[in-house]
Amino acid sequence: MRILLAEDEPVLAGQIRDTLKSEGLTVDIASDGAEAQYLGETEPYDLIILDIGMPIRDGLTVLRNLRTGGNDVPILMLTARNDWTDRVDGLDAGADDYVTKPFHMAELSARVRAMIRRKAGKSNPVFTKDEVSFDSRTNQVMVNGVPASLTAQEIAVLSYLFHNAGRLVSRTELSEHIYQYEGDRDSNTIAVFVNRLRKKLGNDLIETVRGRGYVIKAAA
Amino acid sequence: MTSLRARAVSGGILWAVVIIVLGLAGISSYMTAQTQARFTDLVQARHSQAVVAVSNNGASAVNLVRAIGDPVYQRPFSGQYWQVEGSEGQLYRSPSLVDASLPRPNTTQGGRVAREYRGPNGDPVFGIAEWLTLPDGSLWHIQVASSLRSLEADTQELRQTLLTAFAIIAFVGVLGALAQVAVVLQPLNTLRKEVSTRWEHENGLSVDSYPIEVAPLVTDINSLMDRNREIMSRSRRQAADLAHAIKTPSAIMRNELDTLRSKGVAVQDSIDALDRLDAQLKRSFARMRADGTDGAVGVVTELDTALGRMKRAFEALSRNSDKTFSATFDEGLRVRMDQSDFEEVMGNLLDNALKWAASQVRLSASQADQGTVMITISDDGPGIPKEERSRAMDSGQRLDTSKPGTGLGLAIASDLVHAYGGKIILSQDEDLGGLAVQLSLPAAAAQRPD
Repeated sequence: MRILLAEDEPVLAGQIRDTLKSEGLTVDIASDGAEAQYLGETEPYDLIILDIGMPIRDGLTVLRNLRTGGNDVPILMLTARNDWTDRVDGLDAGADDYVTKPFHMAELSARVRAMIRRKAGKSNPVFTKDEVSFDSRTNQVMVNGVPASLTAQEIAVLSYLFHNAGRLVSRTELSEHIYQYEGDRDSNTIAVFVNRLRKKLGNDLIETVRGRGYVIKAAA
Repeated sequence: MTSLRARAVSGGILWAVVIIVLGLAGISSYMTAQTQARFTDLVQARHSQAVVAVSNNGASAVNLVRAIGDPVYQRPFSGQYWQVEGSEGQLYRSPSLVDASLPRPNTTQGGRVAREYRGPNGDPVFGIAEWLTLPDGSLWHIQVASSLRSLEADTQELRQTLLTAFAIIAFVGVLGALAQVAVVLQPLNTLRKEVSTRWEHENGLSVDSYPIEVAPLVTDINSLMDRNREIMSRSRRQAADLAHAIKTPSAIMRNELDTLRSKGVAVQDSIDALDRLDAQLKRSFARMRADGTDGAVGVVTELDTALGRMKRAFEALSRNSDKTFSATFDEGLRVRMDQSDFEEVMGNLLDNALKWAASQVRLSASQADQGTVMITISDDGPGIPKEERSRAMDSGQRLDTSKPGTGLGLAIASDLVHAYGGKIILSQDEDLGGLAVQLSLPAAAAQRPD
C-alpha cells in the first residue's frame, strides 16, 4: 500500500513516515502543496495524508483540485486548526476523514488502515483465505493458527493482494503500490517476493495468471 | 445625566415665560394707557358739553340742568358730576351731587385745571375745572368730575382678559413644545431601538432613513459595528494561527516521547505534562471563542448552507465508522449566530453523537416560533442518565472515560449556545433511545425576497 504524505514540517513528516513504514506501508513525502498535487495526480496512491496548512498551495486547495480532477483516492486530512469550520471545509471538499494535531501516532495509523480497508470494500480487518489469515491492523500473518514471519516487502505484496482480493493485479500495478516514487521499480523482483510468499504460506494462496499478473481468489 | 427632552422643554418653557411676561407687560401698559386716554377724553367732552350749556343758557339753573341732560347726572352719586359757579355767588350743581360740592382749585383766572381728588363720599374722581368769560362779561367757573372707580374696574377687567388669554397661549405653547420635542427626538429613539436590536441588521443601520443631523452618528455606529466584527474575526484568526504554531511541535514531541516509551524509557511524566498542555490549550481556545461572541453583532447564519455542509461532512464521517447519519431540515432557516460558531456547536454535538451512537445519528431542524429555531440531534447510543445531564455540560467533565475525548464537546457547545442567548436541553430520545440534544437558537428574520 502506497501513501502520499503531504506535510511541510520535516520532523513530523519523518516521524509519520517512519511509523507507517514500520507497518509495511510505502510512503512518499511532499513538502508543499504544489508537489502534493503533482504527485497526487500522477502517482497511483492508495491514500493521501494531507496537511491543511502547507506552503505554496494550501491543503484545502490541493484537496479540491484533486477531487475536481476526478481523483477518488481516500484522503485523510491533517489539521492543526481546532475549529469545526476548518474540518467541515475539508470534509465538504471531499476529504474522507481528519486527524487533528497533536495526535497519537497509533490513532493516525489506525485511521490510515481503516480507510484503506474501507476503500477496498472490506469491513473485516482480518483477511482470511483457506488456512491463511492476515490481520491488517497488526500485519500478523497466521498459517493454521501459527504465526508466519514475513519481511516488510513480503507483507506489502500480500497486503495489496488481500486488499484487492478477487481482482487480477498486474506486476506493474503491484510494483507501483509497494515501491516509493523514484525507487528501484524492478517488476521482476515482484516474482521473487511472490515465490517467497508461496514458500511460507503455501502454493494455493496466490494464483498466477500467466503474462498478466496475480490474484488471491475469493478471500473472506 | 442630562436629558435632551428636559433641556428642550425647560428651555422652551423659560423662553415662553419671558415672552409672556414681556408681552403681558407691554400689551397691558398700552391698553391701560388707551383706556386712560379714552376716559380723559370723555371727561373733557363732558366739560365741553357743560361749557357749551353755560354759554347758551347763561345764569339759569333750570335751563342749565336741562341742557346738560345726561341721565347719569340725575342719579345721586352716580359718579358723574358737574358744578357751575358764577362770579356773583351763583352755584349750580348736577342733581347727582345731592348736597355735596366739588372743591374749587386754587386758581383764579383762565387756564384749564385737570386733577384727581376726593369727590363726594370720598370717592376718588378725576375732574376738569376752567374759568369761562361770557360775551356779556360775566365770569363762570365750570367743573366736571368723573369717578375713577369705573376706570379702575375697566383696567381690572382688561388685565383679567389679558391674563386668561396669555394663560391659554402658554398652555398651547407648552403642548406645542412637548410635541415638537417628541418629533425632533423621534429619530434618536428609533436609533436607540435599532442599536439595541443591532444583531438583526446584517448590513448595519440604514443611514438614509435618518435626518442629516443624526446620520453621521449612525455612520459612526455602523463603522464601530464593522470594526467590532473585524476585531473579532482577526482575533479568531490569530488564535487559530497560534494553535497551528503550537500544535505541530506538540505533535512532534508526543511522537518522540511515544517512541522512547516503547523503548522502555521512563517518560510518562513528560507525556502527562504534554497531555495537560494540550488539554489546557484546547480549553483556552474554546473559552476564547465563547468570550469572543459577546460582541457579535449583525451576524446571521443561513442553515441551508451551514447544515448542508454539516450534513455532507458527517455523512462522510459516519461512513468511516459504519454508522448512518441523516439530516432533515426546513429550507430558509436562519439563526443569529456566527457561522463558524454555529458549525462549532454542530460539529461538537454531532461528533459526540456519532462517537456514542450504536448505528445511527439524526439531525432535524425547524422554526419553532418567530424567534426560535429548534435543532435536535439524537442518537441510539447509551444516552446520559437524568441525574448526570447537567454535569455533562460542565467544562472538562468526562462522564465516561471509555471513549477518547477531552470531555469538552458538550461544554463548548453549551457555552457557545448560551453566549448567543440560546438554550440547550439534554433528554432521552423517545424514538432512538439514546441522547437527544435539543437546541433553541435565536432566529434571524427571514430574508426579504429581493
